[in-house]
Amino acid sequence: MFTKVELQKGVNLYIRRTEQFKTITMSIKWLSELNEKQAAFRAVLSNVLQDSNADYPKQSDLRKALDELYGTVFYMDAGKRGRSHIVSLNMECVNDEYLSTSGVFDEALKMMYSVIFNPNLKNGTFDESVVNREKRTVIERIRSIYDDKGRYAHKRMLELMRPNDPASMSASGTEKDVESITNASLLDTYKRMLDEDEIDIYVVGNVNVDELAEKIKTMFGFPARETTRKQYEQPDTKNTEARQVFERQDMKQGKLQVGYSTPVSFFHPEYPKMQVTNGVLGGFAHSKLFMNVREKESMAYTVNSAYAAYYGIVYVMAGIDADLEEKAVKLIGEQIDALQNGNISDLELDQTIALLTNSIRSAFDSARGQIELYDQYKQLDEDFTADKWIAKWEAVSIEDVQQMASQIHLELIYLLSGREA
Amino acid sequence: MDKITFDNLQETLFHERLDNGLHVYILPKRGFSKTYVTFTTKYGSIDSTFIPRGKEEYVTVPDGIAHFLEHKMFDKKEEDVFQKFGVLGASANAFTSFTRTSYLFSTTENLYENTKVLLDFVQEPYFTKEKVEKEKGIIAQEITMYDDNPDWRNYFGTIQSLYKEYPVNIDIAGTVDTIQEITAEHLYECYETFYHPSNMTVFVIGAVDPDEMINFIREDQNSKEFSEPEEIKRKYPEEPKEANRKKTVLEMDVLRPKFNYGMKCNHTILNGDEMLRQDLSVNLLLDILFGRTSEFYTKAYNDHLIDETYHYDFVFEKGFGFAMVESDTDKPEELEAAVRSTLKSLTEKWTITDDDLNRARKRRIGQFMRSLNSIEFISNQFTQYNFNDMNLFDVVPTLENIEIEHLKDAFATISNEDSHTVMTIIPGSKED
Repeated sequence: MFTKVELQKGVNLYIRRTEQFKTITMSIKWLSELNEKQAAFRAVLSNVLQDSNADYPKQSDLRKALDELYGTVFYMDAGKRGRSHIVSLNMECVNDEYLSTSGVFDEALKMMYSVIFNPNLKNGTFDESVVNREKRTVIERIRSIYDDKGRYAHKRMLELMRPNDPASMSASGTEKDVESITNASLLDTYKRMLDEDEIDIYVVGNVNVDELAEKIKTMFGFPARETTRKQYEQPDTKNTEARQVFERQDMKQGKLQVGYSTPVSFFHPEYPKMQVTNGVLGGFAHSKLFMNVREKESMAYTVNSAYAAYYGIVYVMAGIDADLEEKAVKLIGEQIDALQNGNISDLELDQTIALLTNSIRSAFDSARGQIELYDQYKQLDEDFTADKWIAKWEAVSIEDVQQMASQIHLELIYLLSGREA
Repeated sequence: MDKITFDNLQETLFHERLDNGLHVYILPKRGFSKTYVTFTTKYGSIDSTFIPRGKEEYVTVPDGIAHFLEHKMFDKKEEDVFQKFGVLGASANAFTSFTRTSYLFSTTENLYENTKVLLDFVQEPYFTKEKVEKEKGIIAQEITMYDDNPDWRNYFGTIQSLYKEYPVNIDIAGTVDTIQEITAEHLYECYETFYHPSNMTVFVIGAVDPDEMINFIREDQNSKEFSEPEEIKRKYPEEPKEANRKKTVLEMDVLRPKFNYGMKCNHTILNGDEMLRQDLSVNLLLDILFGRTSEFYTKAYNDHLIDETYHYDFVFEKGFGFAMVESDTDKPEELEAAVRSTLKSLTEKWTITDDDLNRARKRRIGQFMRSLNSIEFISNQFTQYNFNDMNLFDVVPTLENIEIEHLKDAFATISNEDSHTVMTIIPGSKED
């Protein structure tokens, strides 16, 4: 699906030509090893780089130029995957064929070049007022999780299950690490990002592959680099006993999070089976959790499960009346038991495979979806296609699901609920 | 079937109004594997006072009923509708807004079987006392979830501070108390009144053959019996020009205050081209005044009055409209002063130039082109516009014809300070 061009050792370009979209979407990803300090540095750095550069020293000038390019979208963000931290520079512009002018994509490419190679430096360092402002912005981003009770409960569950571990680390780092950033450390991070990180460049749209590859190769002269990717290693939790943690804030609804660990993670050969298992349990509106906890017992509006495959964690989330916590935990446990006992109908299995199929095919209907899915799955198969993966799901049997369910292990019951009167 | 081509966008739209009054729109998209089908009734949370079909007197139904009805449509005598879609590989959903209730699915296979499930479940109501009672628990949890969400409280609190009479101030889901009053009889009454095909629209977009699809839907509708279309009589109260409240402060368990500046639009009895022009003009105006290239944004971001959560928006429907400027902030008073002075200085002296307008226009045209990649966007936005007699595909030509005078008129519809409100969510006192 993507044509791969190795620009340099450790720097790869992936282009997909398609007439499906009216725009051209481009994404440059810098991968490094995830640790909290570097995550904090890189989160602030990406904000500083997207704010302004030597060609557009003021943010409003940069934004005006983008508006002139028919509102070209331009932003950087920080994310994580397994043991990797990923900084992305994302761009999307209207394809010239839909406009009365031409050259929009070329101009947007130049702006990407400026952002990366011509940062806004004064006397060799980043503008201090910008750095300080963006440090504050990232700190606020980290703190804002508290105000979203669902996200906060999820964060707490991960911290309790996997303290000091990539699974619970924020891609923006900690407040303390952000505070500690100096102009020198930021510059050092910037240099390392450009010279040492593994770099993947993606382009999706109606473009000429050969021409564009040549253009990008000439324009973005990233040097070659050595890359070694380490996989996330899960702690052994098979024999640990399940814990219960209750915390309180001033709120009305109880947010329940039940965490399970599984040795079947993203790189495990049985990963597709675990995806199906999670779907039968609680991935969809026909799943056991939705049907039994929501529809039969009417005790929740949201109840579902998710599979954080990189970290080998399956978790169930529900919004409930906190007084019903015991009943909810019992009902959730019963659904897991049902899977472990093989109480799964052909219908449930077929529906799950059909909806997983629908969701992966639908994701390919957006340029970002194509980039993100391929970027993830190419770690397993450089010739990844949706069809190949769907075939793996179609081969999953009820016995497989039962066997997968027996490999998940309850670790933590976490409830965040309102203060007592 | 009518065929409308939009050459510059490389899109073709098909349309037919069936004998029973149902509008069907079909838009094939090349290269897409997914098809997205919505079945929408022009009935939302603001339609709470109306004359029920076959009756003569106005009734007022409990708050939250349109949303409750949406939930109950999925629950049938034998089985749950999600199951039917699931086995056919479709992902189904529904939503209720102020003015619409929409049922939808997206699929990459079994398109016609799924379309049949959609048409059937929306056109075969089944409500019982027992099933209605059971749903109350689920919806109460949904309401409670929103109660704990400071962003929703801030958004909705602003609407309630702006609107004194107009039912847009009623929470779409109602309250835990009002939903207790809802009965199966209520649901049938609302259903019979608002779910007649003549009040509804089907929109199909994505991987679809228009001729086959229109034949399929036409045959399905011809095989079902419907009563004669009747005009629906709805009643809305008159809304004063002034905001309901000037200032609202709410304590919640948050770390930082959340600020929202609301502006009520005072020129809302419009439709068609005029409405589209005003809608787009207000949006351009907000881009120029509050967008990321504006003086306001630059100063407010530098002075730390706003952060990454900052955004602004304009909602415009027949009968109501409001603009909002929101952000988390440590300095709500300073932010309020900055918003006010931005509005005030434009009232005193018009400073917006053709350059500003042209740049904002280019940005909006590009944004519109981008959003045409999203079949969900096209479908939802097309339907919302269509219910107000606007055409989504007129956006670019309308943008191209907007002049400074239109921006001045647009500004006059939202600039009256008496129609403004300020809502803040502040951290509550801790009691550990």
